[in-house]
Amino acid sequence: MAIAKAERLMNLALCLLGTRRPLSKRELRESIEAYMEAGSDDSFNRMFERDKDDLRELGLVIETVENLDGEVGYLARRDSNRLPPITLDAEEAAALGLAAKVWQQARLAGAASGALQKLRAAGLPEDVDPYGSHGALEPHIPVHEAAFEPLMLACRDRRPVVFDYRKANAAQPGTRHVEPWALECWRGHWYLAGFDRDRGAERVFRLSRITGKVRARAGRYTAEVPDVVTVRETVAGWAGEIADRSALIRLRSGAGYPLRAKAVSVRELGDGWDELEIPYGHGLDALLVEFGPDVVVVEPAELRAEVIDRLRAVAKG
Amino acid sequence: MLSLVTYLRERPGARVGDVARAFGITEDELISDLDVLPLCGTSFRGGDLLDIDTDGDRIWWHNPDDVAEPLRIAADEATALLVAARAVSTLPGLREGDRQALLRATAKVEAASGEAAGASSRLSVTFESEGGVFADVDRAISERRRLWIRYYSPARDELSEREIDPIRLVTVGHTYVEAWCRRSEARRTFRLDRVAEIRILDEPSAPPEIELRDLSEGLVQPAAEDPEVVVEVGPGGRWVAEYYPHDSADELPDGGLRITLRTPDPASLRRLALRLGGDGRIVSPAALADSARLAAREALAAYDGPDGLGEVRDRPYEGREQGL
Repeated sequence: MAIAKAERLMNLALCLLGTRRPLSKRELRESIEAYMEAGSDDSFNRMFERDKDDLRELGLVIETVENLDGEVGYLARRDSNRLPPITLDAEEAAALGLAAKVWQQARLAGAASGALQKLRAAGLPEDVDPYGSHGALEPHIPVHEAAFEPLMLACRDRRPVVFDYRKANAAQPGTRHVEPWALECWRGHWYLAGFDRDRGAERVFRLSRITGKVRARAGRYTAEVPDVVTVRETVAGWAGEIADRSALIRLRSGAGYPLRAKAVSVRELGDGWDELEIPYGHGLDALLVEFGPDVVVVEPAELRAEVIDRLRAVAKG
Repeated sequence: MLSLVTYLRERPGARVGDVARAFGITEDELISDLDVLPLCGTSFRGGDLLDIDTDGDRIWWHNPDDVAEPLRIAADEATALLVAARAVSTLPGLREGDRQALLRATAKVEAASGEAAGASSRLSVTFESEGGVFADVDRAISERRRLWIRYYSPARDELSEREIDPIRLVTVGHTYVEAWCRRSEARRTFRLDRVAEIRILDEPSAPPEIELRDLSEGLVQPAAEDPEVVVEVGPGGRWVAEYYPHDSADELPDGGLRITLRTPDPASLRRLALRLGGDGRIVSPAALADSARLAAREALAAYDGPDGLGEVRDRPYEGREQGL
């Protein structure tokens, strides 16, 4: 933030916090040098409105009060802006210090350290190296998707959005009108759950498949927001982690550790091959062909056919 | 800057170095902030100007009136801190004492944030890691001991045994241990869910002094001299661009992509070529495309044998959504 702006915001905050009665715009203009220097009424008004919004974004609760003459006044009451008493011991402070460092997204990283600064101002112990008591653990929350920030704000403010979305197997993106509910990060990827207005139902979107800009729309939500939003279950279903059947495969001895790790049973056949029973969920065919000639599907026939189709496509290539 | 004011109020005579560290800024930045503060305050009631002094070492504030009470936490700040704290507290490998401390702190911050904490339920993060392996690696790091692991390499589809000197644990989606590998005498990163077996050894861990890499750009950072691989995928294979770090991904007219990536070991991409099936093909190197074709033919041969499924219908390939 430019020094001039920081100074102006600081002055406005101190004025609003320092007063016991609401101050009118005129009074504020006369008390703050930068406002006195503002040329026209228009430019002062614009500057003041922006500053007021910025302070609110920073967490300052500014009340708007109309006096008997109908003149609008502003004040930031001490009791509604004071951080309630909070005492954290050194261990708790160190744990929060670690947590505040996990964001790799600029806005959230800034916000987390802002929260920590306020807590420090209120006496949070700080002379502890946050990593000292946590050994070598370094968790990071990756945020590479451009759609993340606008969607985060839309979830926060409950604003409908429009974006172009390319389904996994679609050639062209389609426009989706969505009432965003919640964002969730699972296995390093971000997902949005919300009400899809075009489909008239709940949908989960993967942020990396959003193309172009996320645009906010005016208006309210038309569907009720559920108390509990389940993103992970939907995604786990896509990932084939929800299996209701099992499959029988032959696997060359020593090969395919990931298949062995999830096998229900393993039987040695003795001729350099093992027979495994494994959970059969969505996407198993694609996983099995990765092992090429080291895997043969025994049953079910449907899975055999899928694997053979895939192998033929590669063999032709 | 308001937090700076409240911070100084709590700590008369604070050292410049300490304050700068607490706010994550340089001492010069702090001094320039301090130059602004005395100009703040309002003239309209007189005497409201902040009277702050520094001799370059310590900072004094002569009139810390009640203007400077700690400010409440804003909604975005509460969201950022609470979501992160909840995520970290779910890490399976976190020490129990640290987890308890974090849960206590989270509850206190929630209470102190009041309504501002509400929106934090709209964001959530789950870290994945293998509990038992994590705990062993974490212990080995804090006790500075060497580890023996049996590790799965997807590129070669084989398990190998090696001794490693662990340096740090990193969680980016999956959890990894960065270590000095005694077999290759080089820095290596191991994904915990690919560790099939682990044992803590009695030998002390002695990794050479190495500069830690900045991992914010991702764990896989191909080198410029690595061979180039070109893959063309149809719409159903676009996920490749999401999973593989690549140099370029150009749109194709059919809704597919032409992806150029680099890898030290192109043969390791045979699995990708097989997985893509009809959704994509390796353009170059030719040897890689050939080895995938050969592997597919060899695999198909197993289905033609006496107990194979000779009667499988020859149906046209249907693209379907790839798993995640």
